[in-house]
Amino acid sequence: MTELLRVDHLNKHYPGFALQDVSFSVKPGRIMGLIGKNGAGKSTTLKSILNIVQPQSGIVSILGKDFYQNEKECKQEIGVVFGGIDFYPLKKLSTITAVTSRFYKDWDQNRYTEYLRQFSLDESKQFRTLSNGMKVKYLLALALSHHAKLYLLDEPTSGLDPVSRDEILHLFTRIVKDGKRSILFSTHITSDLDRCADDITYIQNGKVLQSADKDTFLRSFDHLKTPEDSKPLTLEEIMLRTEGRNSDETAL
Amino acid sequence: MKLLYKELMLAAHPTSLVFACLGCLVVVPAYPYTVIFMFGCLAPYITFLYARETNDAWYSAILPITKRESVKGKCQLIVFIQLFQLLLSIPCVVLRTILHIENNPVGIDATIAWYGLGFIIYGVFDLVFFPAYYKNGYKAGKAFVIAAIPMLLLMIASEGAVRLPALAWLDSYAPYDLLLQAPILLFGILCYIILICIAYWVSVKRFERVDL
Repeated sequence: MTELLRVDHLNKHYPGFALQDVSFSVKPGRIMGLIGKNGAGKSTTLKSILNIVQPQSGIVSILGKDFYQNEKECKQEIGVVFGGIDFYPLKKLSTITAVTSRFYKDWDQNRYTEYLRQFSLDESKQFRTLSNGMKVKYLLALALSHHAKLYLLDEPTSGLDPVSRDEILHLFTRIVKDGKRSILFSTHITSDLDRCADDITYIQNGKVLQSADKDTFLRSFDHLKTPEDSKPLTLEEIMLRTEGRNSDETAL
Repeated sequence: MKLLYKELMLAAHPTSLVFACLGCLVVVPAYPYTVIFMFGCLAPYITFLYARETNDAWYSAILPITKRESVKGKCQLIVFIQLFQLLLSIPCVVLRTILHIENNPVGIDATIAWYGLGFIIYGVFDLVFFPAYYKNGYKAGKAFVIAAIPMLLLMIASEGAVRLPALAWLDSYAPYDLLLQAPILLFGILCYIILICIAYWVSVKRFERVDL
């Protein structure tokens, strides 16, 4: 198998917004960052991949299987975290875990306990009492404890302090180290990608502007350089100049 | 069973579980017993409202289950609450007999016909409520208002029927009358099974098209 995730020609139309012909793939052992400004379609892409929103057309393959035809089977192999969504705020973490663990055939309680310790999470606490960062860490602990091969994470580092972000980005690199697992995570914090992403997919207005390994990606935006730029452009500069240029064109 | 376990542990509002226990109200000497069915219909409303506020649909979406199973879990929970309520009322009816409590002066007694009518009320309510809710996956209040109309009409019809002398046998514990009431119970159970299956099927079709 050459790809853990393959997205082909995904289309989803909303009134006023459309995800158009989105295609990219994630290979084993890679971390792919999905970037784009707010409302560009990052979350819609992840939700379409997971059938949380129903795309009009397109194919999603996970571990070589058609996701929409084998949803249950494929979901056993993936870990998902949506940052910013509170589940069952009044429930204790232990209750949420007790239920979640029943749904995964490869649930690893020892690994889960280890992540709780590593993230300093107290299972007797209610979900609502956790800070935003701790909520993400808890959801990551759940996602990481059933031997998933692919992790789909929507804004996992938003709202985290620099220490926690560093800890989680370090964890990402450890997850993919064995070359068998991959991570696709959306973010608008480009510095996270500078530190750990192997591949980058840039979504603009619902379309994939570029999807490639980091070096190729950075080189493909060399045309945005000005005579004053002696060094390669950073991801942030690429985003600012791409989005800024489009805004100017729209204004004209 | 893991779907029902998830619903009971995470999604069910505690009040809906209290409502499930209100089958015991048949032991109250004077009470409009069809109101008990209203509690069994309020339970799904409160549960769906609570599920919406606790992002239950999102949690379900990331679990290794399909949208079809997500609907199935909710149907299992509501059927569990409604059946539990009716089953719990049976020993209470027996207790009422042991205590020699007079017939209910307010309305219909908890006779076999009452159980049959209860199944019909639940079946009709669920048939309207589930598909109305799963049309969009969040408008629990609207779904309840729409489903409450046939529920209230059936409740009024049930309570009103026993006021008619020709239908007084519906309110009787006499062995011959109970025998006459048995077909109503069988019809009610059949209705409930068929209507809940239709409600589930339509809800799945609708929810699969919903974008969360």
